Amino acid sequence: MFWRQPRDRSLWHMILAPTIWALHFVLVYGVTAVLCAKWDAADLARLTIFASTAVALTLIVAVGRGAWRQWDYLDGWDDIHDRPTDNHRRRFLGHVGFLLSLVSTIGVIYVTLPAVFVETCR
Amino acid sequence: MRAGLACLALVPALAACEGRQSVLDPAGRDAAVMAELFWWMLGGAVILWLLVNGLMVYVSRLNRDALSVRAATLLVVGGGIVFPTVLLAVLLSYGLSEMPRQLAPGTGLSVRVTGELWWWRMEYLPEGAETPVISANELRLPAGSRSELRLGANEVIHSFWVPALGGKTDMIPGRETRMSLEPLEPGEYRGQCAEFCGDSHALMAFGAVVMEPEAFREWLEHEATDAAPPATEAARAGRAVFLAEGCGSCHTVRGTPADGTIGPDLTHLAGRTTLAAGVLPMTADALKRWIADPRAIKPGARMPGFDHLGDARLDLLAAYLEGLE
Repeated sequence: MFWRQPRDRSLWHMILAPTIWALHFVLVYGVTAVLCAKWDAADLARLTIFASTAVALTLIVAVGRGAWRQWDYLDGWDDIHDRPTDNHRRRFLGHVGFLLSLVSTIGVIYVTLPAVFVETCR
Repeated sequence: MRAGLACLALVPALAACEGRQSVLDPAGRDAAVMAELFWWMLGGAVILWLLVNGLMVYVSRLNRDALSVRAATLLVVGGGIVFPTVLLAVLLSYGLSEMPRQLAPGTGLSVRVTGELWWWRMEYLPEGAETPVISANELRLPAGSRSELRLGANEVIHSFWVPALGGKTDMIPGRETRMSLEPLEPGEYRGQCAEFCGDSHALMAFGAVVMEPEAFREWLEHEATDAAPPATEAARAGRAVFLAEGCGSCHTVRGTPADGTIGPDLTHLAGRTTLAAGVLPMTADALKRWIADPRAIKPGARMPGFDHLGDARLDLLAAYLEGLE
């Protein structure tokens, strides 16, 4: 599996955060649609949304931390990785992975915001 | 250049955004919130435009030296990531916090509005009432309280919109959508179908009248009564024409044998501010023109023309309908 592969080889580490964001999105929209259409269960839908958001954010923060270490920015404040070496490839993938976890964090929060304000299924 | 001048020439026309059907001239709570939000957005967009263009002038004219890496990074991260993220979050939160208020349940009156081809069936249900007061093509609401609107449609999709009072909501055949409005200022406004629905979509409008609560109560009581019997000789003759020509197979005039439900209810037709769903003024002349050839005024209208009646009988019909206050 991908987590066994070296980090300079696998693209999975890079796109893991947006993947969590996408799964969170599908889960939130799907569950809300079903709960609202079948049982008008707004409270349960909001609870599910908040719970899955907490899980998604925790996972994304963990992925982001891994990516931050992989980038190893503080070692030389280096954000240019353009040479065809394992080290540069590894740091490049970490750099992109870290930025993507930032975007995914914002995405997950924006997806959740409506549930903070809208308290009914209408 | 010429196109630019032509655009400039349009500015006075745009300045005419006040009036009965304008988002920028709100007369209800919901519309006021949206108008205010529009002005904030416009102001923000102008400031942003000036900032971006000012920055372009700065780097291309005023200071052509390269920026330091630190300044450039600050600009990209601050202006490109942090600023839009925070600003969008604030705007989204404000919009979302307003949504439940605009959809809040009504506190008394509820009106069922059904989109037809191309007119509006209006059924008023005051609090506690079981049978609706049926009317058409004009929405009357009491000022100062939130009224519930239950929206539906026959055959095709429409969208209900009174810009001076609030946002728009789709009307979908086979299901009921809802919205609520809280008009504040008594006055006459105009609603318009906002979803393309066929030949006469653009001609599917209605008068929206906001009244003081007491006046509204009296109006609704009157609206629930049967039609007044014709008062003049001409009107009596007109009623005979109305019934003989079979108008009653599509139209209802309560208190007479006319009980059709295909077309708009005409029991208190002359009490409305407009004729033919917001298209014509409520005058004898307009009534005659409409009855003689509805499709000349409203392409595709379901009502057949009655021009075979001749001027004299059309006059009688108009006299009868004008008396239905």
